[in-house]
Amino acid sequence: MTNVSVAGLTKRFGPVDAVRDLSFEVTAGVTGFLGPNGAGKTTTLRVLLGLVAPTAGTATIGGRRYAELRHPRRTVGALLEATGFHPGRTGREHLTILATAGALPPARVDAVLDEVGLTADAHRRVGGYSLGMQQRLGLAAALLGDPGVLVLDEPANGLDPAGIAWLRGLLRTRADQGRTVIISSHVLAEVAQIADRVVVVGAGTLRYAGPLDQLSGPGGGFAGLEAAFLQLTGDVPAGASTRGGAR
Amino acid sequence: MIVRAEIRKLRTTRTVWILLAVAQALVLAGLAGVMINNDDLDDVETQQAAMAHVGLVSLFALVLGIMAVAGEYRHRTITDTYLTTPHRARVVYAKLAVYTVAGALFGVAAAVTALASAAVWLTAEDATLQLSSAGLWQTITGGILWNAAFAAIGVGVGALITNLMGAIAAALAWIAVIEGVVAKLVGDVRDWLPFALGSALDALPTAVNGPPPWLAGLALAGYAAAFTIAATVTTLRRDVT
Repeated sequence: MTNVSVAGLTKRFGPVDAVRDLSFEVTAGVTGFLGPNGAGKTTTLRVLLGLVAPTAGTATIGGRRYAELRHPRRTVGALLEATGFHPGRTGREHLTILATAGALPPARVDAVLDEVGLTADAHRRVGGYSLGMQQRLGLAAALLGDPGVLVLDEPANGLDPAGIAWLRGLLRTRADQGRTVIISSHVLAEVAQIADRVVVVGAGTLRYAGPLDQLSGPGGGFAGLEAAFLQLTGDVPAGASTRGGAR
Repeated sequence: MIVRAEIRKLRTTRTVWILLAVAQALVLAGLAGVMINNDDLDDVETQQAAMAHVGLVSLFALVLGIMAVAGEYRHRTITDTYLTTPHRARVVYAKLAVYTVAGALFGVAAAVTALASAAVWLTAEDATLQLSSAGLWQTITGGILWNAAFAAIGVGVGALITNLMGAIAAALAWIAVIEGVVAKLVGDVRDWLPFALGSALDALPTAVNGPPPWLAGLALAGYAAAFTIAATVTTLRRDVT
């Protein structure tokens, strides 16, 4: 039941405006955070998670900035790095370190290893993991604190079709429990099957925020969805940014 | 909690154990070099020169400290570290504490290796280890403290220069070349540069004109504090992209 709120967010890296006056609200359920590469998705998520300082504006979780959260890992679980592991550590060691630093019960390590299907490989060094296994380990880390909010940056990278289907089920279950799930992607098809709502960004600005089924263009179905997405994120928004409104 | 997590990170990093092993090998080789090239093995100064390697391997403690922070950037584990502990200063302080102790333990390990191998060597040569010599123990304890100080400075360097290879290259270049060049330009201040202070703390013959060991130790602690402050300030502001 925790809302995520981005308000007037601007982030400049030197001469580059990565994000410009971006505002949107995310409530319980699965929200797809969409946009082409370089649209400012990762920057927005990193500001939300306190890793990048905004130039202007705020990004809050349940009304608090990330640094103000009493128990960050119990509140938000995040997957940001495709390969954020020390290759010499085992999967279990990686999670145990996070559980120790986050004051989480050691039993959670076994629970999340089981949840992502890595129990049998937990004793192996991460350097020997496939990309898909690393992605599962990253997800395990995000789930470690059993958080009410999940923020996943391109979580489908490296997962095979079965893995993607499994991920969809896992996120659906969480969303149905009333949790808030944000998944970013530059591939519309990845989120079209799972997202209840979408936030579409292009060139650092908001292009659409609202229910997925209201985002449609000529042709209807997935083709219409894709057409609308491409139009929204193109150089010329063609007035589409007003559709759905900037929430 | 953060301290315990840092200890676990340290223990589960293989490079730490490799550094420790290489340091012991260097202590043994250095000690052998001194023993082979000196005739009077009963002489305290000879034995002190052999024990000096306990301090000289502080180079490895420096690299250890650098790895503590820059290694996290290299493997991108820093993201999860800050997600777990958004108060980044706490992470820096925990690393400082853990790695200063680890540096001291590196020094203790080197001291044990040096003392044990010296005892064996000297016995074989019918000489005696001068265990009652204050100078010998000064070099040993000074060497241990030198390791601790350099590990602490390493944490600061690694937090300032987050590129692992760049940070290690900069630190080694300082010790191998830059400090020597700078020393010729700054007059008496040369005795207060980090490696010179380490030598003074270790009561090495190369540091005869430098400050007394206790003052050298304090000055090194000052360097560690200055690096930590600079590292904390930059760490708090730096975007983790």
